Amino acid sequence: MEFLNPAALYALALLPLLLVPYLIRRRPRRVPFSSVFLLREFAPRPTARPWGNLHLPPIFFLQLLLLALLLSALGEPSLSFRPVNIALVLDNSASMQAMEGDKSRFQHVQDEADKIIGALPPHARADLYLLAPRLTRLAEEPLTPGAAIARLSALKPLDLAEPAIDYGAELERLVRERSYDRLHLFTDHPSEGQSETVRVVSVGRPQGNLAITSFQVSRRSWAAPELEARLSIRNFSATDGKFKLVIKGFGKALASRAYTVPAGKDAEASFENLPVHAYYEAEIDAGDGLALDNRRFAVPPPQSGLKILAVSPHPEALASLRAIPGVELQVVSPQAYEKESFEPHALEIFHYSAPAALPESHALFILPPQQNPLVEIGAASSRPIVSGWREPHPLTRYINFALFRPAYARPLKPGSFGEAIIQIPDGPLAVAVERKNFRYLALGFDPFPFLGQQNLPVSIFTLNVLEWFHHARAGDTGTTGEPLATKFRAGEIVLAPDGEKIAPEKNSGLLSRTYAQGIYRSTAGGAEKFFAVNFSDEKEPDLRRPSAIQLRGKPGAATGRAFYASIWPYLLLAALALLLLEWFLNPASTRKQPATEPVKQSDDFRWA
Amino acid sequence: MLPAPFTSDFLNRLEVLRLRTRKNVLGNHPGAYSSPRRGTSLEFADYRKYSPGDDLRYLDWGIFARTDRLYVRLFHEEVDLFAYIFIDASGSMAFPSREEKFVPASNLALALSYVVLANHDHVRLHSLKDDNATASPFYRGRQRMRDLIRFFSSVTPGGSLEPAPCLGHHLKHIRRPGKAILISDFLAPAAAYQQGLNVLRAFNLDISVLQVLSRQEIEPALPRGELGLIDSESREELRLQWSASLSREYREKLERHNRELKSFCHQSGIHYSLYVTDEDLSQFVLKTLPATGLFR
Repeated sequence: MEFLNPAALYALALLPLLLVPYLIRRRPRRVPFSSVFLLREFAPRPTARPWGNLHLPPIFFLQLLLLALLLSALGEPSLSFRPVNIALVLDNSASMQAMEGDKSRFQHVQDEADKIIGALPPHARADLYLLAPRLTRLAEEPLTPGAAIARLSALKPLDLAEPAIDYGAELERLVRERSYDRLHLFTDHPSEGQSETVRVVSVGRPQGNLAITSFQVSRRSWAAPELEARLSIRNFSATDGKFKLVIKGFGKALASRAYTVPAGKDAEASFENLPVHAYYEAEIDAGDGLALDNRRFAVPPPQSGLKILAVSPHPEALASLRAIPGVELQVVSPQAYEKESFEPHALEIFHYSAPAALPESHALFILPPQQNPLVEIGAASSRPIVSGWREPHPLTRYINFALFRPAYARPLKPGSFGEAIIQIPDGPLAVAVERKNFRYLALGFDPFPFLGQQNLPVSIFTLNVLEWFHHARAGDTGTTGEPLATKFRAGEIVLAPDGEKIAPEKNSGLLSRTYAQGIYRSTAGGAEKFFAVNFSDEKEPDLRRPSAIQLRGKPGAATGRAFYASIWPYLLLAALALLLLEWFLNPASTRKQPATEPVKQSDDFRWA
Repeated sequence: MLPAPFTSDFLNRLEVLRLRTRKNVLGNHPGAYSSPRRGTSLEFADYRKYSPGDDLRYLDWGIFARTDRLYVRLFHEEVDLFAYIFIDASGSMAFPSREEKFVPASNLALALSYVVLANHDHVRLHSLKDDNATASPFYRGRQRMRDLIRFFSSVTPGGSLEPAPCLGHHLKHIRRPGKAILISDFLAPAAAYQQGLNVLRAFNLDISVLQVLSRQEIEPALPRGELGLIDSESREELRLQWSASLSREYREKLERHNRELKSFCHQSGIHYSLYVTDEDLSQFVLKTLPATGLFR
């Protein structure tokens, strides 16, 4: 027998409350009597218990049974049959690495799954599924219980967030499609609702956690050689978090500092003048449940300076950019850009031109032609007045927009993605887009030539634009579960943080299996290249209140097989019968016992 | 005004009664009760040798004729009676109410007193309670009924009662042997009331015991279930589960208790009667008590 609503069984703890009326009733009615010495031997012996001798009439046990039946019915007991075709879905997301005692949540889940598989009959079949990076079946064919246990023991959680799917609907769909007798989801999320087929086994308890949410190593400007590190640490707990933050370069400690983060708040940290290393690691000694987010990795930007490839039919206007220190400029014509291939640049500027598709690099579009992949172009206007701008924003810093009057402008119309940075009454004048780790900026006016102090507002904007693109290329840092932002050559092997050798995909040259946090190394042409991959998710490190999984199973909808037989209606009927019996044995009219006649204590002695 | 039971008919019938004593009494005046002293009654007691100065009317000439010796006849002295009526005024006598127990007991005492007064004997009332024991003066003559009623009116039953010490306190002031009538519910352990009756016996009193119980004490109409019975004297609370079987056991125990009291009285030469307060007083006084030998 199983209970479909086991939480209701906690109400059974209320059963002792039934004693309360009897304890209250137990306070006897005080009745005066002439002399009690004749009755003394009939009185029960006094006991050491404060409540004395509790006399429970048989009706009490009837009421107790009645209440127990009602509360049991609330738990919706059902007779279940031994399943033979089950699915086990294991949450292998990062939060399952959190420690609960001496075991991780995932190890607890493995133990629970072992028990369930162990209880299966020998001819039963089990399918194993993992949630991360997506709901995936582990084996093509259903496994025997022995094989399932063997596969189960080899599983480990990944440094990934769990997919944002509707678990209730997805699992019900799985049950429907595969005709599972039962599906068990093992996770650290609680569940709400109920399903006849889907069972959620929740592990873990709420606990606090400190997490490094961002770690970047960059240069202060594109011309500066010094490196600086910026970090954010969030405290996902109800108490202040104290920790020591250590910055390591290529495994060697470079700097450390102690911090205190208030409960539920973020702390920012920065370290300047870091020596150049191949990669950096930030670590906090929080000693909390989830160790994964106590470390984060970063790779410094490859070199100082800003290499720009400018594509323009008017190269003379762009040549003025060479006046800016640290800028290396290569100007080509649109025809040459289409014909030739160029080595990667930090920024590509399309001046009165546009490629057929968005380039896989940061790109600035200046008054692009109508056929461009980024924005639509509006009607021309002269010396427009800026009517609005994003603030604060790196692109609009230090600019006096009252003086910002481009001589010629065409309003832009961004597509479904894109953010208007500067606006004139006719529409946006600057639109910023971030896609696939690349930044794109489209301008409806021409900021060139770069005139320096002669046109300060536009010159400042130009410098802001270059700074904005510069900060976008802070090292080769990616997120677990996402492909590395590099195309690898055929046959190139990447060494994962756990020592596994991974081959990039043959067709795209991308490396997608970034399931572990750490430094990925590739050796191409004898030069070792490092990629930092970090686990990054806003919800996963918060171990306090995981969201509940909503189950919306309909009885009998999962399979055509009657897997459960509800017995709670019979319990209700039995309770009703007991109620009638109790009513018959102890009717309300007789419950109230007649009050004793008050003793007349007339002090008058009157003769009639 | 006399209490309700004391109708003129009842009073007339009381007047023909006279208390019976089993012992000689010492009275002040000639009366109807035999005294240990020699006197002038018609009842012959003994002979004594003649001494000069003896009344020649009492010489037994027949003995002188047969033996030639002078003897005088002696007769018992008949004196009036001193009756002491002790009435229990403890808290239990106010259960279930004063009107239902103490007042009937007082009426009984008044009826007995009236019998004594109507015979020109002396009666004295004693209220028995631990903290405030009082006694009236000796009364004689029917006209003192008003004083007796006033005495009972002044008594409020309450508190506890230890019979032996309380009776001992009263007996310190009694000089003449007479008739002692103890009216009480005797709802006390046997040892307690036996000590009290023994104290009376030690004073050479002719003792009568009238046990007064209310119907509520004989057949308690208590609600079923757990009760806290409050003792009317000690205020002790006794918790018990009242049921029909317990009620039956209580009645049996009370009967045993009464039998034990009656048996003790019988062995000690004490007259015993039981009066249940819902009975008719006149019936009890005029029928029951003469039948049991309290009156003659």
